[in-house]
Formats: sequence, C-alpha cells, structure tokens
Amino acid sequence: MANVYSTICPGCNFGCGLYIRENGNLDVDFRKSSPANSGKLCRFGMSLPRLYTPVRSMVDGKEVELTEAAKDAAKRISASKGSVAFLSFGNTTCEEHLAFGKLGEAYLCTGADFEALPKDTYQTISVGIPYSEIEAAKHIVLFIDPYEQYPLIVRRILSAKKKGAKITSVWWKDLPLADENLRPADVSKLKLSGDSLVIADFHPLSDMENVKNVLSLAKNAGARITFLKPFANSTGAYILSKDAKQKSLVQLVEDINKGAIKTLFCLESDPGEMIPAETLGKLTTLIVQTGMASAITKKAHVVIAHEPLYKKKGTLINNEGRAQSLGGEGTRGLDALGVMAGVKFEFGVLNESVKKTIGINSIDEFTIPKYDRPGYAAPQASVKPVDAKTALVSVFNPFMWFGLPDDNDFVEMNLNTARALKLLKSGTLKIRSNGSAIEKRFKIGPVQENVLLTGRKFGIEKGMLTPVEISR
Amino acid sequence: MQKGDMFVGWSTKEDIRKRGGSGGLVTSVLAAALDKKLVDAVVVLRKINEFEAVPVITSDVNEVLKSAGSLHSVPSNFAKIIANKNLKVALPAKGCDTRGIIEQSKRNAVSLDNTFIIGLNCGGSMHPSVTREMLEIMYKIKPEDVHGEEIEKGKLIFETKDGKEHAITIDELEEKGYGRRESCRYCMIKIPTNADLACGNWGVVGDLAGKATFVEVNSEKGAKLLQNAIDAGYVQVEKPDEKGVAARAKIKGAMEGLGKKWKDKVFVPMDNRLEYFRKELEHCIDCGACKTVCPTCSCGDVSKCTEYHLRGDAYKMSMYHLIRFLHLADSCIGCGQCSDVCPVDIPLTRLYRRFANPMQEQLKYEPGMDLRKPPYFEAKLEV
Repeated sequence: MANVYSTICPGCNFGCGLYIRENGNLDVDFRKSSPANSGKLCRFGMSLPRLYTPVRSMVDGKEVELTEAAKDAAKRISASKGSVAFLSFGNTTCEEHLAFGKLGEAYLCTGADFEALPKDTYQTISVGIPYSEIEAAKHIVLFIDPYEQYPLIVRRILSAKKKGAKITSVWWKDLPLADENLRPADVSKLKLSGDSLVIADFHPLSDMENVKNVLSLAKNAGARITFLKPFANSTGAYILSKDAKQKSLVQLVEDINKGAIKTLFCLESDPGEMIPAETLGKLTTLIVQTGMASAITKKAHVVIAHEPLYKKKGTLINNEGRAQSLGGEGTRGLDALGVMAGVKFEFGVLNESVKKTIGINSIDEFTIPKYDRPGYAAPQASVKPVDAKTALVSVFNPFMWFGLPDDNDFVEMNLNTARALKLLKSGTLKIRSNGSAIEKRFKIGPVQENVLLTGRKFGIEKGMLTPVEISR
Repeated sequence: MQKGDMFVGWSTKEDIRKRGGSGGLVTSVLAAALDKKLVDAVVVLRKINEFEAVPVITSDVNEVLKSAGSLHSVPSNFAKIIANKNLKVALPAKGCDTRGIIEQSKRNAVSLDNTFIIGLNCGGSMHPSVTREMLEIMYKIKPEDVHGEEIEKGKLIFETKDGKEHAITIDELEEKGYGRRESCRYCMIKIPTNADLACGNWGVVGDLAGKATFVEVNSEKGAKLLQNAIDAGYVQVEKPDEKGVAARAKIKGAMEGLGKKWKDKVFVPMDNRLEYFRKELEHCIDCGACKTVCPTCSCGDVSKCTEYHLRGDAYKMSMYHLIRFLHLADSCIGCGQCSDVCPVDIPLTRLYRRFANPMQEQLKYEPGMDLRKPPYFEAKLEV
C-alpha cells in the first residue's frame, strides 16, 4: 500500500543505505543490512523527509512539462554558446554524470579545485580508503569534526579506539573521542608515523593550502590519508571527470563576475550556499535540473524537474569507492539531458561505461572494487596563520551544503572568552564582520579561545574562516 | 475454538509448506485473513535476500504468500508501521512487536479491536551486519552462498546453496560477540502469550516435527483468526501431543533461564552511575533516531523530550536523554531497536533498561504484556 524505495542518503559521500517510505508523507526507515552504515543514520539522514520537497518544471515562472523545460533550456544554452558553464557537485548518479559530462564538456565544474593540486594527488583525493581500514588503524588523526560533519565515521573511529587505537584531533575544539587534542595552529606538534591514518575532508570551499599541507604531512611520515567528501556521489563525479578539464568554483565565480559566463546550468546542485548572491545575480540565465525544490529553484529561469534521487535508477560511488545501486526506476534526468544534448542517452550503455571505468562486472555493494592507489610527491604548501584576533569558523555539514534549516542558530565558544566579554548566561553575543552585524545565542564548549564555531550559514562569512569582532 | 486451546497445524498449500517455516501455518493464516476480508491489510516482510527484508503493509495475497519463511537476521519491529493508520490489519509479531503494539494502543495510536496479532515464538534475532561478519569469520562461508537458516537444539544452522549445513552452538557464537542482539539475549518473552495467537515450532514432535506449527489461542480474536483460516481451507489443525505440550513448556523454561543468566551478566550493579551514563552518552549527535524507532513512543514531533531540548544547551547530559530515561522507566520493552539504529553505537537499550529493570520489577508492571496503563499514567497502580 506504500511505496518503499531502497536508497542512499544524499547528505554526504559516506554511502548510507536507507529506505524511503512513501505513505502520504515521506518516512525514513532503517536499512540495517547496508554495508556502509548498518542502517544507522545521522541527524541529516533523519531529516530527509524535509529535504525531499516536490518541485515542478518551470520556464520563467510558468509551469510546463519536463520535455518543454528541457527544450527551452537547450535553446538558451545554444543561444549563449561560449558563455555557458555546467555545474554538478556530485549529487546525482554516475550515469547522469556521464551524460552531463558530454553535454557540458566545454565548461565543466564539479566545484573542486583540482587545478590547485598536483595531478598525482587526484586519485588519493578522489577515492578514500575502506572504513574497515579505519577500524583497524592504530593511530587516527582527525582534521575534521566527525560529529558535526560526517557523523557515521564516529562509530568506525570508536571501534578502532576500542581495539586500542590512539585518536588525535587537530581541530578548533576538543573532541570527546580524542585522546589528544591539538589546535590547528599547533599542527607542527603533530607526530605521525607509518601507523597513522589521517582523515581530512575535501570540498568546493576547501582551503587548497591546507589540503596540500595534510597531503604533505601524511606523505612525509608514510601515513595513509583519506578525504571525506560532502556529496552523495563526489567520488563517482571525480572518477568519471578524471580526464575532463574541470573548472573550480573559484574560477566559476571569477568568470561570472567578469562576464565570461552568462548562463549557468546546475545539475542537482544548489550553488546558492557557496556562490555569493551578487555573483549569481549577474547571470542572464540560470537553469536548474533537479529532483527537489530548494532556494535555487526559486531563482532559476528554467527548472527541469525530474524524480528525486530516491526514485532514480543508477549508481553512486561512496567514499570507499563502493559502487551502490539506487533502488528506483526513474531515468527522466537522463531523458532531459538527452533533449539538451540532442542525443538519446541509454541507461544501459552508460551503466556499462561506469562499470568499465571502475573495473567491475556488476554492481555489488558488498565488494569494494580494487582501485589503483598511486603514490604522490609531497606537495609544497604555504598555510597562512590565522590573521585575526577572533575568528568565526564554519563547520561545514550536510545541513549547510543543502541549505536545510537545523536547530543550530547559535555559536559555540570557550568559557574564558565568554567571561572576558562578561556574557550573560542565556544571553546573546554580538558578532561584526565587514560592516555586517548579527546577534546570536552562544553555547559554551571546549573551543579554542577567541574562536566561534558555527554549523549554520549566518550570511557574514567569507569562506571557512571569517575574522570577526565580538562583544556583549 | 476458544481462548486457551492449543493445536498443531500446517498450511494446506504445498508450496507454502515448502517455503514457509514449520509447515507455513502463519503465512496461510495471514493470507486467509486477507482473502476472506477479515482484515483490510496485513504486514509482511518483503524479502530482498537472506539478510534483508523490508516491512510492508499489503492487501495483495500473493505478496503474503511470497513472504513465507523465517528471517532471523531481520530485526524489525512492526508496532510503528501500523500506528496511526486506522487499518483493520493482521500481522506476525514477535514478543517485542506485540508489546510495542499493545503500548501503542494504550496511547490511542492503534486499535486492538482492529488488530489481529499472530505471535511468533522467538529465541532472538540477529543484526544483519553482524551476521554477515559472523558467517565469514566463524562459519568460513560467504554470505551470498547462504540459502536458508534454522535454530535447532541450541545451534544456529546455515544451509548453503550446495545443500550443506553449517552449525555452531549459539553459546560459542555469543562468547565471541556474535549471535543474537544483546537485548534478545536477556529478553524474557519467548512465547508471546500477549498476542492473539502464539505460534512456533516448540512442541511439535514426532512425525510432524519440522512440518507443523504449535499454536496457542490467547484471545477470542485469535480463535476467530485461526477458525477463519481453517474454514477458508488454508490451514489444517489437530490437537497437540501431550509430550509436545510438555516439551514446549520445557523449552520455554530453559530459554527463560538463559535469559535470566544474561540479564544478571549484563546488568551488574555499579557505583558511579551518573558518570557511567554521562560517558556512554557523550558521543550522541542528536539524531533522534532512538525516539523515531521506539515502538512505545507515540508522541510524534511534539514531545517533552524534544521540546525541552535545545542543541544550544551545554548540559553534560542532555534534557532529551534525561526525559527519555524517565519516560522509558515504565514503558521500555527492551526490544533493542534504539541500539540498532544509534549512529554512534551507544548501547541505549542497556541504558534504558538500567532504569526500567528495577522500576518495572518494583511496580510489578511489564509494559506491553497486558492492557494496564503505565504506572506514571495513573495516580495509583492497579495491581
């Protein structure tokens, strides 16, 4: 009586399996046999019914059929040839991403800034190591807050700790699971060895000097390193785009600002959380192809609305490189891409191509394909020290990437900092930056002095780390 | 037929007898209830493979027939599947499913008058991820090669596609950290006498062993359900052998004894309880899955545990957990669902039972075993 779909959580690249139950409303149900997460879901996974809001195809605010929207988009893309960019962070299937790559090869953007990194690091960045290796590690070093950013990794780290692993955190606050807590500025005190396993993350807003630095630290110590990523198919998108000339998000913003890009096509990607509003406002045409409503669908000139991810047919590749089948039957996304590209994309052909690329004969979520894990030379990094008395640090998490509200309208700060400002319990804190001012509740935690942590976008941020002034 | 009657029975349909466990009686009772419109729908597990199945509400008799067979590695709980649906429904239910359904009825989310519960004897279920690992490490067989499973005489037996059987005692498995989920080990409800019917293979002896189901009728509704299946030609029954009745009681006693031993082993008295609870909960990420999955919780989005809890609070133990400890002291049925779904592996059922065990023993109240309201609902408990 209810439709039940076996699917993968879109919240990050961890690859958490779940069921979505359509029963008037949407419900999540726990898929306990899923190899990545044993059915367990984080706060974002539990919020999926809020994320999957229905969307309709539109052209200039008028509701139309999908094919009509795709045809209209095709005309607009053709009319602005040479000034069109194609953006897909990796929130869709490998098959759609392949089709998308053919449509947008002239200006393809996955958001990631691979150009800033040596080519020999591409595979290390793209494909993480199996979670079972994390559980078996002797020393784990975290350059993330796993609780906020990639919660399903916590149990793997705790499992390693139970077996005797030492956990070191290099973060802005003490983490309960860490045996040793270092602050980012004290990274020189970090002792790595061949037994160490470094866990960092990589996303469109990553500071590339920091990425190069952790790559170097790991390489020089002979440690293993794995990068977690924020989009359901980040790994698939990177593997399939390996030979494409990819543009970074920074480059895209620059090209829009200088007028070189006038039309932006977004496939299952909301750049509103990452690209300044004034930049997006300079576009003459914004085309969005998606399976759910979001802030960007309201701004788009053309919305091509197909089925949501949980109803799609296709393959996702999780952070370990595990190929996972989505349980739906929908291929309308491919149909729409075909209309725009002027060809018919056959799912079967694309699926075979995906399997060939990762060297497998069938999609088996319980077997991780054998990936080349080539070595790399330690890159030169020049990490700049934080040049601010007080900094607001954005702790990117699935709610932020998707612009989904969460119960976190506060900043977390150190008790000494609060005392120095004579803040009142249950009171607020004034935060000023670049002429903007906001007032927020605060939570006291084991945070570095003069650092404010936030898991929500307040609108005053300039990247991951924003110099601010604070007062009572 | 009346409450208290006992039978052994089997499906009249050969394919169900072959596919279903113990003669396929339960599948046939469900199919007959649907076929003869005793109910609008039934709940079954839609099997994906030996380690995965998804609960579905269906009115399709064929789907019911296809669902035949036991799956010990699918630790589901059906109580919330039927809550607030306003359906006339029949469903198979382990002791913990039944207890959850009865607790939902006390909270007006399920009408027991419209719910036919076919209880299943249960010695415990296993987590599928743990089972897969156990097969590879303990049994040295690939999970994909498994064709079927059975629990018999204290052994967990897997049949592989080549027809071979692989058996290891449950004691040995559990000693190594595999086997049943922790909550199942200390569960004391082995025969769900709180359901309308209680069904299982314990007590089926002689020529019928392995080919029939022992059924105990626990209510007028249960009698109606079984009689409907007999009248519709789906099921045949006969009176059980006295030796069978005695054997069933003996197995039940032995299983309860084992449950008691596990309970004593897990719930060792402790000093510094506050520090213990605080430490266990320090990794909580506020996902709310434990509440969502809890078969006795019917609060929905607006509930005390969430309304008094803000992520911006800096308490060492959140109000969410404190309120849930209080709530579950008299309502926890020990089903283990919260531990199953906790993303940071907090042993939540164990924590809730730390409160619930002494409270429920002192108040002589076992949630989900009868229709008495939870003590905290009433000014004075009717004992």
